[in-house]
Amino acid sequence: MFTPGSKFFLGLTGFSLAVCVLYIALVDNATGGAVALLSIATASGVVAGLSLFNRDGEVAVGDTAAPASAEQLTASMWPLIATVGFVGVVAGLITHPIVFFLGLIALLAAGTEWLVQSWSEGASSDKVYNASLRGRMLHPLEFPILATVGLGVIIISFSRVMLAVSKDAGAIIFIVVGSAVLFAGAIFALKPSLKKTLVVGICVASAVGVAASGIAAASNGLRDDLVKAKKEHHFSHKECGEEESEHFDHLAEGTISMRSNPIATIELRDGKLTARELGVDKVTQTITFPRSNDATIIFRNKDEREARLTAYLGTKAVQDGVVEEVLNCTQMIGIDHEQALTFKIAKPSMASEKPYTLTVPGLEGQSIEIMVP
Amino acid sequence: MSTTTRRIVAGVSGLAATSFLASCAKDAPQDTWQPKGSNAKIIDDLQQPVFAIAGVVGVIVFCVVVYCIIKFRDRGQAMPEQTHGKPALEIGMTILPALILAGVGVFTFRTVFDLSKTSDTQMVVNVTGQQWWWEYDYPAQPELGITAPIITSGQMVIPVGTKVLLRETSRDVIHSYWIPALNGKRDAVPGRVHTLRLDADKPGIYAGQCTEFCGLSHANMRMETVALSKEDFAAWVANQLADAKSPAENTLAKEGEAVFLNQCVRCHQVNGLKKADGSPAIAAPDENVWSGAAPNLTHLMSRNTFAGASWDLLNKKCRANVWGASSETVGKKYLAGVSEECLNQTDLRRWLRNAPAMKPMYADPTQLSSTNGKYRGMPNLGLSEDDIDKLVAYLSTLK
Repeated sequence: MFTPGSKFFLGLTGFSLAVCVLYIALVDNATGGAVALLSIATASGVVAGLSLFNRDGEVAVGDTAAPASAEQLTASMWPLIATVGFVGVVAGLITHPIVFFLGLIALLAAGTEWLVQSWSEGASSDKVYNASLRGRMLHPLEFPILATVGLGVIIISFSRVMLAVSKDAGAIIFIVVGSAVLFAGAIFALKPSLKKTLVVGICVASAVGVAASGIAAASNGLRDDLVKAKKEHHFSHKECGEEESEHFDHLAEGTISMRSNPIATIELRDGKLTARELGVDKVTQTITFPRSNDATIIFRNKDEREARLTAYLGTKAVQDGVVEEVLNCTQMIGIDHEQALTFKIAKPSMASEKPYTLTVPGLEGQSIEIMVP
Repeated sequence: MSTTTRRIVAGVSGLAATSFLASCAKDAPQDTWQPKGSNAKIIDDLQQPVFAIAGVVGVIVFCVVVYCIIKFRDRGQAMPEQTHGKPALEIGMTILPALILAGVGVFTFRTVFDLSKTSDTQMVVNVTGQQWWWEYDYPAQPELGITAPIITSGQMVIPVGTKVLLRETSRDVIHSYWIPALNGKRDAVPGRVHTLRLDADKPGIYAGQCTEFCGLSHANMRMETVALSKEDFAAWVANQLADAKSPAENTLAKEGEAVFLNQCVRCHQVNGLKKADGSPAIAAPDENVWSGAAPNLTHLMSRNTFAGASWDLLNKKCRANVWGASSETVGKKYLAGVSEECLNQTDLRRWLRNAPAMKPMYADPTQLSSTNGKYRGMPNLGLSEDDIDKLVAYLSTLK
């Protein structure tokens, strides 16, 4: 009466319902989990019904014995992988989320593969036809996923290597690896008669080599200057006091999006500070920003010494009766260098006792006033 | 001609006639085919021939399709001889559209570059969009008489014959600024500043509409550009530079000022307004509104609209008098502002009574968790009719 497929899904339905009852009884605020479990029960119940209705895809099953001439089913690794996945899920619950998710992925992958393989092996007594049926079902999933995972592993491994070695060594490795890939590709293209096993062997060995190098590099950690830069928040760290940072990502400030956006460019040249507003072809000592809006300016140092730009943005109360100045600064900018500075002023100029200004510490009598209407 | 054919022909003709007549609307302030400034004319000079070319191509394609459908319809005839390809025809049908598109492309690129020119800018206005209104701030430009920044909303005022550069940005989501009679549209994007040039040939009021869907009241996010003669513009600037004057003691307006200080100043700035202790009353929209801003009301009655330019401050008769004025007289009529007899009290009172009922906004105080308790739009303040009377009297003084 019940087909193998429907038995499986009916079992899953019953199991989900039982777990749902336990979950609701044992866990507070159980709405989300209960909905998920009931959804699984409903979905598997529907699939069980479909499975019963079409007798597992019109395959002779159940009480019809396999013909004596039928070939033996192939051994399957999926139960083993499913077990590993299940253990990973359980272990992950008490160790680390990543273990849980890896286990879940293994469990889902094994479940899908096992299900389709079992179904296809019962489709007919022709083993080749069954295998092609399985391929038609799973190859559109398997190939893209495996290719993505494979490429991901190679890219991540290679990036770990590049982050672990010095900049000079990185450049050399990049050239060597790139040349090797180009050389191997050229050989494969020019010698189509090469044995397939040789080509596959070279590719697999290279991929394994890159992955192994990546694992070794990752375990060795980042190179010293990157570790230090990370500690200094090198993408955003801007100081108004004594310069402490050694690293700053100047390239991040050089992106098109940042450079196409400044409302004004502030330039220090020959000891004089001037501003040039977006769309206005003349210099000025006053710039105007809308309130409560992020504004970006570029500070360009054309002077003969290092300099930083300091934005005075009013005051704020830090405790009852205690106010402190709100400052925002670029880092010390070298000669002929520049840096973007983004800030927001919530209150209009009339709310501040002192005008909002842009100044260069140590440069007397030079400032750009920021007007906020 | 059969009855069915006659019906189809009559239906298609009726549809075509309706479409044609709809394009002839007299009162169409956002008509893209009536440029009133040099930038809009640049666009018009491109769109007229392109539309003509596209129209001719479209008609030809449509006629060929109709001809083929009728001529070669299935009448049970034998399958005609099949041929594989016609190289000459295929090459010709590829080259001809390519040439047309290349020609259009050349002129389109030239137009784009012409419109992006900013080197001859004569005046700058910062335009900031937020849900669901536009703010305009004018940086100090002494050569134009703007000796200190000016801030206004809803209606932007510019002098005629002046190349105005708008620096657009947004405080919340993407909006798009479009005054069809003066130029094309340009997106206002949070965190970025985009430029758009405007200029008007003649004094007048030019209507526009936000053209990037920006939330619940996108349809109620309108804007107007008011072009004034240089003399009228100077008068407008002089008025805008002045602070608001406090109403005389023992008047309804003075009582309204107290209500304003108690309720409205949390978000709305009125320059010159002082608290009881004599210190300036500074609005804090950054603490109460999601976008961080609310319209500055210092000279509310100098503009004709409120609530994102969606409702008139002028009653119907006075509005028709201003909007229908000739280019010679519109400036004087606009500068007269909103007098007591012209004030559209009905809509203003409705707004003060329950703003979200007029303009859909995310302003329900019980549903502000996603915005950390901040409003998007003006909430219902629960004002009493007495308070509304006082507020209307006070707001009427903000000329």
